[in-house]
Amino acid sequence: MNDFDICIIGSGAGGGPVALTLAQAGHSVVVLEKGPWFTENDFYKDELACCLRSVYTPNLRDEQHVIEDRDADGKWTDTPTSESGWDFWNGNLVGGSSNLMSGFFHRLKPVDFHQLDEFGPIANANRVNWPISYTDLAPYYDKVERVVGVSGKFVPHKNIEPRSGDFPYPPTAEHAISGWIDNACEKLDYHSLRVPRAILSRPEGQRRSCEYSGYCGSLGCSSGAKGSSRAALLNQAVSTGFCHIRPHSKVTRLITNPKGKITSVEYINRENKVQQLKARIYVVACQAIETSRLLLQSTGPAFPDGLANNHSQVGKNLLFSAGGSGSGDFNFADLSAKKRGQLKQLGPFVNRALDDWYTIRDVKLARQQLKGGIAEFLFAHPNPTGKANALKWNDDQLSWGKPFKRKLETLFTTDRTLRFEVFNDWLPTDNCFVSLDKNIKDKWGSPVAKVRIGYHPHDLVIGRYLADKAERVLKQMGAVHISSSISGDPPANLVAGGCRFGNNPETSVLDADCRAHDVENLFVTDGSFMPTGGSVPYTWTIYANAFRVADKIKQV
Amino acid sequence: MGVSRTDFLSRWHQRLLTRRQLLIHAAGGSLTALLPLPAFTASNHHTDSTVPDPWPVIDTVQQHLFPAEQHAPGAHEINALAYLQFVVSDTTLDQDERAFITHGVKWLQGISQQTYQQSFLKLDMQQAENVLQRIARSDAGENWLSTLMLYLTEALLTDPVYGGNTNQIGWKWLQHTPGFPRPPADKTFPYLLAKK
Repeated sequence: MNDFDICIIGSGAGGGPVALTLAQAGHSVVVLEKGPWFTENDFYKDELACCLRSVYTPNLRDEQHVIEDRDADGKWTDTPTSESGWDFWNGNLVGGSSNLMSGFFHRLKPVDFHQLDEFGPIANANRVNWPISYTDLAPYYDKVERVVGVSGKFVPHKNIEPRSGDFPYPPTAEHAISGWIDNACEKLDYHSLRVPRAILSRPEGQRRSCEYSGYCGSLGCSSGAKGSSRAALLNQAVSTGFCHIRPHSKVTRLITNPKGKITSVEYINRENKVQQLKARIYVVACQAIETSRLLLQSTGPAFPDGLANNHSQVGKNLLFSAGGSGSGDFNFADLSAKKRGQLKQLGPFVNRALDDWYTIRDVKLARQQLKGGIAEFLFAHPNPTGKANALKWNDDQLSWGKPFKRKLETLFTTDRTLRFEVFNDWLPTDNCFVSLDKNIKDKWGSPVAKVRIGYHPHDLVIGRYLADKAERVLKQMGAVHISSSISGDPPANLVAGGCRFGNNPETSVLDADCRAHDVENLFVTDGSFMPTGGSVPYTWTIYANAFRVADKIKQV
Repeated sequence: MGVSRTDFLSRWHQRLLTRRQLLIHAAGGSLTALLPLPAFTASNHHTDSTVPDPWPVIDTVQQHLFPAEQHAPGAHEINALAYLQFVVSDTTLDQDERAFITHGVKWLQGISQQTYQQSFLKLDMQQAENVLQRIARSDAGENWLSTLMLYLTEALLTDPVYGGNTNQIGWKWLQHTPGFPRPPADKTFPYLLAKK
């Protein structure tokens, strides 16, 4: 006798669409979430809460990762994150890290689904085609626009992916600098892309419209406008009466029988009591690193090396987002009073990106076409304390007193910084994967995930190419102090892969429906399924694919 | 997240913390054993540098690190001492860090005694600067000052609900516009941590 039809582990962008779809279809659904259940009434523009204390992420003494990186001699070296402070958690709360996203949304493009055919192999990279095409996912991208709520205006662009009609919500208010970017691009013969956002521009149901405080990414949304899994999907799912959310539920393993079918899930509740429940189908969506970790530690008679891991594929080909970031400053003193006033405005979004080089055809770089990416423009985050604290260093020397205060005045009062972020493919390689650490355990006694973070040098070539283009836009706009940095350091918040989907069980964990090849009642619906990353942030694709898989689960 | 790329800040933070952790490990966990300076020999430490109440010295150091000016607030104006006492009283703060903040006073006093034969509290501006410059030359001393600077910037720029930034004086000085809604007293981060 099952307790529920569907048990979903993780409540973020991979879990929410499944919970809503199945609950609306009348299935009994339980969502197990490790973190607490905050609501709009708990979210304030509070830098200490969002960014300087461990409110939305675990204390690294209790739960951490071990990062395997190359040292100066090129040797792989383990460093626990409790020692380094390099936090790989992104949001452990109902709704997951989607509560804290910036919400600039991009679809993948058709070429992302068959990169191997389109661009060919690259030495030491595990580039493959996907088992589905853009046309399979397109209806679900549309669904995300309607259900999660994506605000934008369709403006033709030479590289825009196929889509049907305009956006269901008008664009969010835009900052005057968006027009400056458009003008600069036009002079350079570039084509600025108008970027949609998963933020409501008008009220919908219980959710209010965006209130344009200017503080968005890294912070929970107090109006409900941000399209988090919690605000946009789980609240609706719960209202059906068929979806039950259990916060403070840390899943420790999935238990299987000798035939390889999951029979129950074991978790620890807030009172530190071990619990079990049974469901007909289990859906894992803990974000890529933790999903692989859970499968690896769920050994059983049919899976001695971890659930769905009899071909040693779980955790392999982990992806981040390659690229980096850059910036330029606009000095108030160099601007007219009108433009100065425009620049100082806080609240409206920039909503602009460069999308001219998603596929690069440039003989100065290579004879064949290359997979490129995008550069997204955004203002430097307005949270003041982190950037003020960074000013205390003069290169490697600590400064204080009046010299430090003069630097503060310059930083805060003389200019405004426009940043850009470059997104290009993090090529899958044998040097980027998740395993279980043999020494360090979390506070519940489970081995923590060890993450090797090797990158492919080709990623840096593409990142630099794109950053140079974005720098040209800043220069054309009249910015000063222009600089950028492209590196192989992984952004911990842009992570996917580890449980590739594909048609061959020898080289993939999941089938085309994101069902485990070897486990008939296991689906994975977070970003783990992605065998190649694409050159945009992942959230829209994770949402869309989870809606697609939810429709498949309905048929099981 | 916020900025969707947090890698560079994280890497910077990593370097900072790694260095401090290495120092602590190298000293077998004893922070007072870290100082390579002659003032921190065992005999000095046990005779002259015991400070029962570290806060008057921390108050003085804060005023030196963040001095008041006619046009700009100093440590007192931003209520930095009370803010730091709030930080140290936070039970979720790393215990090593709490000890690091208060025990650092002992070796600051040790250097002061060794150099000028008097408490840091009695030094003039130039003497205090010399002592701080001297301790900044050691990794541990630099990290101690860096930690005080971190919490000074928090007192300057975090929401006044936490006790610093009195009447938004830090925001006003730097023409900073806060976001809204701002946290009420019953929804600060200790409340949220209690819900975890």
